[in-house]
Amino acid sequence: MGETDRIIQEFTSGEYKEGFVTDVEQEFVPKGLNEDIIRTISRLKDEPEWLLEFRLDAFRKWQAMEMPRWPHLDLPEIDFQDIIYYAAPKKDKDRPKEIDPKLAETFEKLGIPLKERDVLAGVVAVDAVFDSVSVTTTFRKTLAEKGIIFCSFSEAVKEHPDLVRKYLASVVPAGDNYFAALNSAVFSDGSFCYIPKGVRCPMDLSSYFRINAKGTGQFERTLIVADEGSFVSYMEGCTAPMRDEQQLHAAVVEIIVEKDADVKYSTVQNWYPGDADGKGGILNLVTKRGICKGDGAHLSWTQVETGSAITWKYPSTILKGDNTASEFYSVAVTNNCQQADTGTKMIHIGRNTRSRIVSKGISAGRSQNSYRGLVRMGAGAKNARNYSQCDSLLIGSKCGAHTFPVIRSDNPTAIVEHEATTSKISEDQLFYCNQRGIGPEEAVGLIVNGYAREVLSRLPMEFAVEAQKLLQVSLEGSVG
Amino acid sequence: MGYGNYIDPFAALRPDYTVGAGEKLELTFVVLPGESRDIDVAIDLVGEGAEVSLKGLYLCGGDERVNFRILMHHRAGGCVSRQLFNGIAGGTSRVTFDGRIIVAPDAQQTEAYQENHNIVLTDGAHVETTPQLEIYADDVKCSHGATTGRLDEDALFYMRTRGVPEAEAKVLQMISFLSPVTESLSEAERERTNQKIITLL
Repeated sequence: MGETDRIIQEFTSGEYKEGFVTDVEQEFVPKGLNEDIIRTISRLKDEPEWLLEFRLDAFRKWQAMEMPRWPHLDLPEIDFQDIIYYAAPKKDKDRPKEIDPKLAETFEKLGIPLKERDVLAGVVAVDAVFDSVSVTTTFRKTLAEKGIIFCSFSEAVKEHPDLVRKYLASVVPAGDNYFAALNSAVFSDGSFCYIPKGVRCPMDLSSYFRINAKGTGQFERTLIVADEGSFVSYMEGCTAPMRDEQQLHAAVVEIIVEKDADVKYSTVQNWYPGDADGKGGILNLVTKRGICKGDGAHLSWTQVETGSAITWKYPSTILKGDNTASEFYSVAVTNNCQQADTGTKMIHIGRNTRSRIVSKGISAGRSQNSYRGLVRMGAGAKNARNYSQCDSLLIGSKCGAHTFPVIRSDNPTAIVEHEATTSKISEDQLFYCNQRGIGPEEAVGLIVNGYAREVLSRLPMEFAVEAQKLLQVSLEGSVG
Repeated sequence: MGYGNYIDPFAALRPDYTVGAGEKLELTFVVLPGESRDIDVAIDLVGEGAEVSLKGLYLCGGDERVNFRILMHHRAGGCVSRQLFNGIAGGTSRVTFDGRIIVAPDAQQTEAYQENHNIVLTDGAHVETTPQLEIYADDVKCSHGATTGRLDEDALFYMRTRGVPEAEAKVLQMISFLSPVTESLSEAERERTNQKIITLL
């Protein structure tokens, strides 16, 4: 096969490059969900009694709840008894300390370095999660010198139980919503991060989530605590193999930002989106919430959503302290049969709180893309200010783009502004590019990147490059 | 309408007006102080070239409850709809504005705009606005905007430096805030509406 043919074939068939499966021996708990399963998970992870109680309490709450029916989605019936809630790669007994080379290879292939290299620029500490367990966390020692704790959630429960107990479920209570309750009952692993007072984290921290095993779900939990005056930039990435069945991913992320601390949280979500006919893919049903607890705290969310068959996600901020600020920058791309209902909530409680929302939705194929948001000005939110802008871009006549913002104001001095537009890529823009020798696909990529620039420019550098490529790949085949 | 298996609060709303090809509909709603109202309006645009202009204003100074629910359904292509709702909430009033524009699949060349602006005068007043777009066609121009805020301090200051008493300056600003809506009213109605503004202070 000639080089050109190979490139063409690679281009047309290999849309989702991360869709491979790692062949590694794994241990599972039996299928299904009941108190015994939860006890088993807790036992396997060697958890203290209080955490088991927390799980069981959440499970009982979940049983009394119903699937949310308000999102603008065609949510399939999920059979929660047909899911394996815990899957972990078996540890090699001869080398218990080392990472299975197959796993290392997997993450290498995904471009996630598990070895600590001496790199001059762009050093990132990674917590790599494979199905239900954290494989490794890099740069722990370097970070520990500064007093920073960055480890898997399970380790944090053992080594820093006081911190975990203090902050766990303080932002997203166990019974917050249907999927958060489910997560609280069965969560497996995730990342824990604590930045002590006045420390500026010297490198970006990152979690990488990988679903591998068939018939499983991933339920990770991330807890980030930034103590007074600290700063951290946190990134999250994720992929999964290509399968015909849909897999459930229900995560919870909690962020606590104390006085004058600053947290920047970035996500590039690239779960398997399903094939062109909507078969398979990940159901991404996630609760993310942060609280600007102390005065002057700052939390910034940046997300690029390109994957998942269904996305249901609203990273939110509670602006509790005075003079706190939060931003939400989002690009959500849907193609083929993907569905996304995503946005944010900004809850203003403190005085002089500021928030800014910039959301860019792009829908192509037969996909449905919705922005849903809430801006709430509490009675005490004196002089609070919000500005929201939500733009939707439609590519093709079979897709949908929707905007559902809610604005509540209980304060005469608070100012809220919301603006939304919907449009398509104009013929003129395309014609202009074509005329200069840029093909239709490339032209769309160019225009989309320009459209999303305001958000992409907020991402840490390595992420920005990846996100730009992803946008291009996600929209492949949507023109014409 | 509808898509997927979610529960849509607008699904039960039946159209009050059906606007056909080349037809034009203009409606203006005025809610004066002391009135509590639930206003549900659903409009279907079913023929090419249909045009709808919907305007509304509300003045609440006591314990009024005013709820707007507006559904603008573009079922045919080539139609234009414009909506503008401006209101002032004082006292312990509660105002909700729940508006949705739906553009059906194949309703191409649609133009649909919706705006809702609110001024909150007092600590006790509550305003909730939910402008929504649900769009299933690509060759469209749709936008919505919503604001809640207070009277412009700078403008008040400017007027006061020129000898306009505070109360009058506020009234003037409110008159101008409502004028894009009141201009659609008859002279007498506009006068009557403007007279009521003073009662909000």
